[in-house]
Amino acid sequence: MLLEIKKKRVSKKNKAAWRKYSDIRDVEEFLEEQRLEERLGRFDTKVDDELFVVDLKGDGVEEKPDIKPLSAKQRKRAALEETPRCFQILLPSSKVEDPNKKRNISKPVGSRPTALSKLTAKRKSEKGVLQKKIEGARKNRKIARQEKKKSKAVLKNFDKNLWGGSLPEVKGIPETLCDDFISPEAQLHNVPTTQRLRPKPPLPKTLVTRAAVETPHPGVSYNPSFQEHQELLQDVVKHEEKMMKKEAHINRVTSKLFRRVTTKSKENQWIEEMSEGLPTPHNPQIEEHSDDTDNEYRAINPPVQNKKKDHKARRRQKEMILEKERLKREKIDKKKITDIYKLRKLHTSITKEEKKLEEDRKKRESKKQEEEEKALPALNSNKPPAKEPDFVPPEDLSGDLRRLSTKTNLLRERFESLQRRGALAGSKVMMKKKRKVKSYFKAGHKVTDNEVDKYLEKIKKSKSKVSK
Amino acid sequence: MVSKKKKKYSSGEGAQFMTRKAALKKLQLSLKDFRRICILKGIYPREPRNRKRAQKGAGGIKTLYHTKDIKFLLHEPIIWKLRDLKVYQQKIRRARAMREYGKMKKYFRDYPAIKIDHIIKERYPSFVDALRDLDDCLTLCFLFSTFPSIRRVPRDQSMLCRRLTVEFMHAVIVAKALRKVFISVKGYYYQAEIEGQTITWIVPHHFSFEPQTKDEVDFKIMSTFVEFYVMMLGFVNFKLFNSLNLVYPPKLTAGFSSDNDKGLVDKRAYVSERIAAMNLSVARKVGANEVEEFPEIDLFETEDQDPQKLEEAKQEAEKIKFLKTMFKGLKFFLNREVPREPLVFIIRCFGGEVSWDKDHFVGATFDETDESIAYQIVDRPSMDKQYLSRYYVQPQWVFDSVNARTLLPINKYLMGATLPPHLSPFIDKTRDQVYIPPEQRALDDPEYKPPGDDDESDEEIEEASDEDKEEQSAEESETEEQILTKQYKAEVEQDSPSEDDDDDEGDDFEKKKIAKEKKKKMAVKTGIPHKEHPYKKEIEDKQAFRLREKLVRKKHRNLYKSMKAGQEKRKKEIWLLRKKRRLHDEKTKEERKTTKRNQKMEALNASA
Repeated sequence: MLLEIKKKRVSKKNKAAWRKYSDIRDVEEFLEEQRLEERLGRFDTKVDDELFVVDLKGDGVEEKPDIKPLSAKQRKRAALEETPRCFQILLPSSKVEDPNKKRNISKPVGSRPTALSKLTAKRKSEKGVLQKKIEGARKNRKIARQEKKKSKAVLKNFDKNLWGGSLPEVKGIPETLCDDFISPEAQLHNVPTTQRLRPKPPLPKTLVTRAAVETPHPGVSYNPSFQEHQELLQDVVKHEEKMMKKEAHINRVTSKLFRRVTTKSKENQWIEEMSEGLPTPHNPQIEEHSDDTDNEYRAINPPVQNKKKDHKARRRQKEMILEKERLKREKIDKKKITDIYKLRKLHTSITKEEKKLEEDRKKRESKKQEEEEKALPALNSNKPPAKEPDFVPPEDLSGDLRRLSTKTNLLRERFESLQRRGALAGSKVMMKKKRKVKSYFKAGHKVTDNEVDKYLEKIKKSKSKVSK
Repeated sequence: MVSKKKKKYSSGEGAQFMTRKAALKKLQLSLKDFRRICILKGIYPREPRNRKRAQKGAGGIKTLYHTKDIKFLLHEPIIWKLRDLKVYQQKIRRARAMREYGKMKKYFRDYPAIKIDHIIKERYPSFVDALRDLDDCLTLCFLFSTFPSIRRVPRDQSMLCRRLTVEFMHAVIVAKALRKVFISVKGYYYQAEIEGQTITWIVPHHFSFEPQTKDEVDFKIMSTFVEFYVMMLGFVNFKLFNSLNLVYPPKLTAGFSSDNDKGLVDKRAYVSERIAAMNLSVARKVGANEVEEFPEIDLFETEDQDPQKLEEAKQEAEKIKFLKTMFKGLKFFLNREVPREPLVFIIRCFGGEVSWDKDHFVGATFDETDESIAYQIVDRPSMDKQYLSRYYVQPQWVFDSVNARTLLPINKYLMGATLPPHLSPFIDKTRDQVYIPPEQRALDDPEYKPPGDDDESDEEIEEASDEDKEEQSAEESETEEQILTKQYKAEVEQDSPSEDDDDDEGDDFEKKKIAKEKKKKMAVKTGIPHKEHPYKKEIEDKQAFRLREKLVRKKHRNLYKSMKAGQEKRKKEIWLLRKKRRLHDEKTKEERKTTKRNQKMEALNASA
């Protein structure tokens, strides 16, 4: 920067002062130019095509390149070859060449063999140290692999008496403390908290009381006696009847509740409802009916006259009420007297009633208890399925071990048994949801009607060419 | 000052229970892991008394857990393992997504296994506890041993199940612990008695594996159950083998070591391998001497010494003693079509020797041509070549014999015969108060003779003779007895010498007198036998019983009364049915007689 020079002589004592009063504009300009050149490349080296474009369309007309848009795949492929965006910042932005291309790369110490190290390596190789090392490493790897395998196999080798009692592991005492001279108190102190006695609530009652494998009904034998098979059949019938009753109930409560209407009557109803209040079309029958009445207005409820009772009527009414009351009283008094003589009978009837009530109550209670014992545990909003008797119809019973046919699924039975005992919460059959897939054409694969026409024309042309 | 207001549900049932979601949050586990650890540790959802309160006022039915249970879980070291596993699974998932299959394979290979033996000890503090819970375990293990590798079930699980079940069966064979068998349409029911515990389990019929639809059964859960049960069965096996002085693990055939399973591609070959393994005898420990197998039962002086009960117990013990060696020294040969697995197991359990066609299956111990074979088990109507030295019986004979605890007569079970029904041995004790028709009773115990039987034999005679003659013959049989008794009495009288005849000689009258007097004093009078009036005794007994009945506590009185009433009712029913049957039988007999007589008359008329 050059300021107005007022002084003839200025001090250029220090760098700042020197800068202040010397004109370096041309130098700076030159340098700027040079930097620009370095950044963008030299102007005179560029080809004309790079610099100039021949305008064919003229102003105002936008040019549209007739290139098909790249498909997503192509775009991706093209992007693959580019430098990733994350690395772009690492690239040099200027086109200035490295002024000092040949740098003195110094390798870290030890990477290049020195004369001494060469010697020792030679000596070692002669001794076979390296070979030994490799072999040792291989051995170690093998041992490690085996160890791992063994540790896995331990899970399948049941090699200790869990209920022996004498094993320290069983008690949970760490192995390091199993010596004789360590006091039992110290040993116990080091038992992990999990293995110490810890209160755990008792198992659910259903799980304890219900048998895991129920004894089979004798009728499920592969070759059952007639009577037992019939008994089982009776059970099945009872079960089926119960189910049918339930189903009927549901039907009655739901779909049967609503009146069923034929489509035609429904339509008629609709028309009737919709045309409510509209002037009815001419119907001679109705008109005839209306002809019967005279044109006089009549209220639906004609007015009532307040007719007063005379004295005689009032007196009679009063007397009648009193007489009725008197008779009633008399009857009650009479009953009181007779009831004294009936006392014993009454007493017995009361006691009878009470006894009956008591019995009923007991019956109800016992029934409730019984049901509670059999009740399926409700651990979930899903109820576990009730046990179905496994019955084989007599025509499928061959009485022969070779031709035994069964439809029971033992795994399912186990699963349900666990549910019925309360070990598992009830489960519901979950249908797999089908995924909703939106379908669309890929950008590059879209086929429009226009294109189809074009294609057909092309074929025609080629055909005509061939025919020519 | 007013005390601080108590928060609702901070005590009582509201505090006692915890929803599953809360439990998950407390344990910081995913639902999957929580389910697993609950199954392993034996923690089950609870049913509260008052659901509304237990759910802290929330409606609907939620899965609830005991808060103490969850606190108990909180200290389980396996929880940490599960959390680590989560990270490991993420690694596997990542490797798969990045398509680094080598890495994934390595992760799978080094998948950390969880050790759960301490849980088994914790859940079953004593061996008997473990035995008590073995029903479910055995059934599931036997079931899973039939499974091929399926999704959601670890690959080596079914393999391990196979090994352990065969080992367990060996233990049962050596201990001779099997008591009851039953063929149902569902599978074979077995009941064994080990250390005083009855264990019942089901083995599925040997069919091909039936495909399981996923939505019916949660395979993941079942497989977790099996994971626990396998561990338990392994340790139970170890203990059983140890107590039976056997070497554990037993050396079974090659099919059971996991290294060789590539060689056995065919499933059938595998099955035969498994059965062959069962036919091997297990190595005993060196130096272990044979223990006396059947110790006599000790009689303890109990308070209510019921001689009848004692007798029953004794008989039961005797029967079991016989059962244990029922097939000892007998050789069985199984035909090709017979289900071999249950038969080999049963026959070996009771000391028999088994073999089969060695051309078809491995592991045969002797040939079909062996003359010492006692029974050949056949399930076909006829055979071309039969040996005279053996019986050809159907497989049901073995099962029925075991249940009857005797070698049943084979005439009903011969080859091609229509079999009698296979009755269930699992009938509860209350069934003794149920009317059993005489036919069935005859089936149940062979010593019982139905009342109609004698008549049948008589009927044959009857055909030849008239009605009157029959009566005569009955009288004759009575008279014969009388004659015999008379003879016996006569003989007794003859034998006893008459003492009165020898006393005629004498010297002095006085002496005689004194002697007589002395004798009179010394005389041995004919003793009057103390006669026990059976009727009187009965009355006394009844009175004593009534007195004892009075001593029944008030608490139990009603129960006792109802029990007695029920007994009476059932007795009456049985009596009624028996009477009905008797009347019916008599009626039919009468009818038969009349028809026969009519026929005879007609024949006579026709001839005349």
